[in-house]
Amino acid sequence: MALKQISSNKCFGGLQKVFEHDSVELKCKMKFAVYLPPKAETGKCPALYWLSGLTCTEQNFISKSGYHQAASEHGLVIIAPDTSPRGCNIKGEDESWDFGTGAGFYVDATEDPWKTNYRMYSYVTEELPQLINANFPVDPQRMSIFGHSMGGHGALICALKNPGKYKSVSAFAPICNPVLCPWGKKAFSGYLGTDQSKWKAYDATHLVKSYPGSQLDILIDQGKDDQFLSDGQLLPDNFIAACTEKKVPVVFRLQEGYDHSYYFIATFITDHIRHHAKYLNA
Amino acid sequence: MDREAAGAPPDFHFYPLDLYDSEDQLHLFPEEHTRTGRDVHAEMSSEPGEAAAGKAQRDLEEEVDELVHLYALRGAGEWGAELVDGSAPHMEVLDHQPQLAAAGAQRDWRLGVEAEDHGYAGWGAAGHSRELREAYRYAHGRASEEYECYVIPEEEDEDEAALVLCVTCKAPVRAVEVSDEHREHEVIPLSKALQSAKDEIHKNMFKLEKQIIEMENFANHLEEVFITVEENFGRQEQNFESHYNEILETLAQKYEEKIQALGEKKKAKLEALYGQLVSCGENLDTCKELMETIEEMCHEEKVDFIKDAVAMADRLGKFLNTETDVEISTQPDFEDQTLDFSDVEQLMGSINTIPAPSAPVINPQAPNSATGSSVRVCWSLYSDDNVESYQLSYRPVQDSSPGKDQAEFTMTVKETYCSVTDLVPNTQYEFWVTAQNRAGPSPASERAVYMTAPCPPVIKSKEIRSCEEAALICWDSGNLNPVDSYTVELTQAETPEASGITESVVGIPACEALVQLQPRQSYTIYVRALNVGGPSARSDPMTVHTTGSCFHLNQHSRHPWLTISEDGFTVTRSGRKTEKELPPSNTRFTRCVAVMGNLIPIRGRHYWEVEVDELADYTVGVAFEDVPKQEDLGANCLSWCMRHKFASSRHRYEFLHSKRTPDIRITVSPRKIGILLDYENSKLSFFNVDISQHLYTFSCQLHGFVHPCFSLEKPGCLKICNGIAMPKHVTFY
Repeated sequence: MALKQISSNKCFGGLQKVFEHDSVELKCKMKFAVYLPPKAETGKCPALYWLSGLTCTEQNFISKSGYHQAASEHGLVIIAPDTSPRGCNIKGEDESWDFGTGAGFYVDATEDPWKTNYRMYSYVTEELPQLINANFPVDPQRMSIFGHSMGGHGALICALKNPGKYKSVSAFAPICNPVLCPWGKKAFSGYLGTDQSKWKAYDATHLVKSYPGSQLDILIDQGKDDQFLSDGQLLPDNFIAACTEKKVPVVFRLQEGYDHSYYFIATFITDHIRHHAKYLNA
Repeated sequence: MDREAAGAPPDFHFYPLDLYDSEDQLHLFPEEHTRTGRDVHAEMSSEPGEAAAGKAQRDLEEEVDELVHLYALRGAGEWGAELVDGSAPHMEVLDHQPQLAAAGAQRDWRLGVEAEDHGYAGWGAAGHSRELREAYRYAHGRASEEYECYVIPEEEDEDEAALVLCVTCKAPVRAVEVSDEHREHEVIPLSKALQSAKDEIHKNMFKLEKQIIEMENFANHLEEVFITVEENFGRQEQNFESHYNEILETLAQKYEEKIQALGEKKKAKLEALYGQLVSCGENLDTCKELMETIEEMCHEEKVDFIKDAVAMADRLGKFLNTETDVEISTQPDFEDQTLDFSDVEQLMGSINTIPAPSAPVINPQAPNSATGSSVRVCWSLYSDDNVESYQLSYRPVQDSSPGKDQAEFTMTVKETYCSVTDLVPNTQYEFWVTAQNRAGPSPASERAVYMTAPCPPVIKSKEIRSCEEAALICWDSGNLNPVDSYTVELTQAETPEASGITESVVGIPACEALVQLQPRQSYTIYVRALNVGGPSARSDPMTVHTTGSCFHLNQHSRHPWLTISEDGFTVTRSGRKTEKELPPSNTRFTRCVAVMGNLIPIRGRHYWEVEVDELADYTVGVAFEDVPKQEDLGANCLSWCMRHKFASSRHRYEFLHSKRTPDIRITVSPRKIGILLDYENSKLSFFNVDISQHLYTFSCQLHGFVHPCFSLEKPGCLKICNGIAMPKHVTFY
């Protein structure tokens, strides 16, 4: 569990670092980014996990979203892992951008040849938090999760599958109902097999329907001019309908003129960090 | 001696009190005793003669202290002595203050000097004064000696135990050698005998000391009387002198007048007599001439004689016909001259009486001296007039009907002040005063206008607005006439950390005040009205809690279809269908069925909540007071609102400003909406209170003050919750 520091840069009084370690779950070297706010020098801080979208590494979020100032002010440690195992030499892992490398979909694969390495769900909910808790000044009782697109899907399912584990959850343009969208169908059939009933265990819209009702405040921002929204990859309406029916609190903001990019994320990242800070620093 | 401790201003003239009410003066002294006593004690205990230690001595010291306290009565004498020096009493006091505890001899000396300065010699009583002084010094000097006698060193005799005293023989004998001759006698240890002897001596000394004190007091009293007599006689002497001078002047004047009148009369008489003498001589000459003429005629010829005789006879006849006045025109003696001394007699008679006083000077009204129903009127005299009583008269000042004579009231008072009661509040009264004594009344003083304090104001409890930092208090004056200003008094309610201090905000010109407060406290607030006469009584108290913001709905803005509950916080739109067009208004909502609240104008953070009917169509938010009343809330740039619509079993939430709303979907319908208005950050945020969910935040430039607004697009009701502490979750927005 040795951590190897790849980089460290001072940012808004804190430090933006990148580490590499040998992952037990994924059986490969994994990088993750961690931002330590100034407050972490003197005490334990809450941890907020960011899950990135398709094709991303830990670098996209830390270099493009501009979240540091808000994280520094609210005193949050923000952890951004990679989106999939890398360099596992699995046949076909680099064949397409929406499956395999950079597209782990935050599930534990059950199908060969993926099931050995592609255990991103266990990695982000178990191994990584243990690693972070053991090596950084964070309060294990206070953690939250958010993400973008595929990472938005990952954040939602992590929160919905583990009631009480995360204090809050939010998402930018999440894939809300993967079992019904082309990306989800491709990934789930690849990682989980053809039995669609297994897919529902990783589908936010389905998970809401059986969510036990522990208090969870969900904030979702969605660009109105997001091409994947009109392509039917994200399907937020299904999720909202399910939440309305189950009275799971969601504020869904359809943002006029914004697309799927990090420009959109950068615009509203402060709102999301405040949303989490409200619960993490309560 | 600090005279001000006795409650008198430095230049107050005390001696009239001595003259007419010496008891009063005595009452003043006890206040002085303790002070002087302490000073004297300090000096006494530092005398080197008291260096020896021992319990007996401590007892002694205590006794001395007691005596010294009693002895402090000396102060009265000194005080009195200073009072004599009426010309510059204050200076005198200041000069001698540091020497309060000075030795008696020194004070005697000073007394003597003052006495001499004051002119005993002037009327030949210098010798008497010296006698008194010496008598005083004698008493005093003895006292000092006695003090020294107190210091009896304790003789710690080594052989003490061996000695006993034979009471019968009154002689000390050695205990071991109590011989036969003392065997039958009563024997006590020598130390005991010594102690009882000492006690006896102390007792006697104490008695003597007491006597000294009494004598000294008596001497002091005599001194006072002496001075008073001197003073009184001096005044009377002056009085006589001025009166006799007046009489002498009057007499001299009368003498001058009489002499002058006499001379004039004499001159007139002499002139008359002289005139008569002259005419008498003239007649004589004529007679002589006629005689001569007739004699000449007798010697003439007969013819000529006859001729001339006829002419002569005519002339004679004419002359003799002219009456010769031989009456004396003027009598040489005096007419009966009576001298009128009645005025002199009156003057003489008035010598022994006191002159009537001159007009008193009425003081202007002292600040804060009046109540709602009374004023305290004060006046004074120019000089030391002898006054038995004053007549104080007053009447209300009325500008409106000068023709109508207001009733005048008069009362007799002994003092130079009077509290006049049973007056009407906030009203001007004209006062004037005359002094009188046996000789009669003085002229009336000038008239002074006094004013009674106002009635207490009445706080408008239904219009109080507050937030965490301030409260806006409104009240009715409670007075018909205007008052000068108002005072707001704030007391923090009884909490362990509250100081209980009353703060006052003074000089408030209008019937409302914005007062700064501490957050999360309870205050009891009173208002007083003030005029020149003073403050009114407190208004009824009003409690303000600085938790959250409190406002009331503005009834003038209410759309007629809305009803507001008794407590003022539930707004209901009933289901009636009388859709009648209303005339446009600037204050009242006429199309949008809305009502506005009156929020306190403080640019801080305000939070309130609204309980809503999940199925009702409502709009809540803020608007400027001049928001167009014919438009829907949120349909213009002067309002920011959250609107809920329920249609075809779907909830729709809009966050409207200038008719625009973001596209926001909310999965859980709020039953209670929290609204945070943050002037500092120019934000207006909405929350679902029950689940602490943030719904939306407007960024709004609020140059002026906005007010909460509420509307119901369909029948239903809204309940406004005020005075709620801002929940922690809203502080993130």
